[in-house]
Amino acid sequence: MSISRKCVPFTPFEGELSKATVALVTAGGVHLKDQEPFNIADELGDLGYRVMPEDVDPSQLMVTHHHYDHTDADKDINVVFPIDVLRDLQEEGFIRGLARKHVGYMGYTMQLKAMYEDTAHEIANEIDKGSRADLVVLTGG
Amino acid sequence: MKGIPTVLITVSPEVSAQMRPPRAIYPKGFKIGNSLGKPGMRELQREVLRNALTLFTEDTRPGQVVTREYPEYGEYHEPPRVKK
Repeated sequence: MSISRKCVPFTPFEGELSKATVALVTAGGVHLKDQEPFNIADELGDLGYRVMPEDVDPSQLMVTHHHYDHTDADKDINVVFPIDVLRDLQEEGFIRGLARKHVGYMGYTMQLKAMYEDTAHEIANEIDKGSRADLVVLTGG
Repeated sequence: MKGIPTVLITVSPEVSAQMRPPRAIYPKGFKIGNSLGKPGMRELQREVLRNALTLFTEDTRPGQVVTREYPEYGEYHEPPRVKK
């Protein structure tokens, strides 16, 4: 897959939200407590990402990111990674359900080319393969 | 692959607009670290997410960031500007 630099990579959606499965991808540095934290010691940033499952327990999530104040996310992860909110919308029938995979990465890097050409593709492929996502919601910090 | 439709929730609209996102929503005045609102404000968080998802079914202009206002947030934070 290639991402165009010249035009907006717009993918239309012609379905219904109530039949759609949604994945979250956040640049807010969210990951499971038992996953390796992002490397905030490296001034160039961390190009990695972490995959979280559909049934992730929000109490098992944490934030590793030193370029925004995540005090509020530490109290309620939904302010940057709305996993419980998505479950609420599933319950009310607004969407069909949650994708099998959700992704967190640290949206700070001095290695923009590698982020754009490698990490972004890897995340897209991760979502494309086996997540069953019809739609993706992207959030920052 | 044919691509996956995305929508971005951003609290840095000028910065995000530089990347020309296919669909994006800016909850006006929310601070960085509060993309969906404040901790525990679940109904506000639901409303922001519903509004973001609704952009998938509306005629939007790719590359444009749509601004929505949520007075219940109760604060206004100036978003970061792009240095020119």
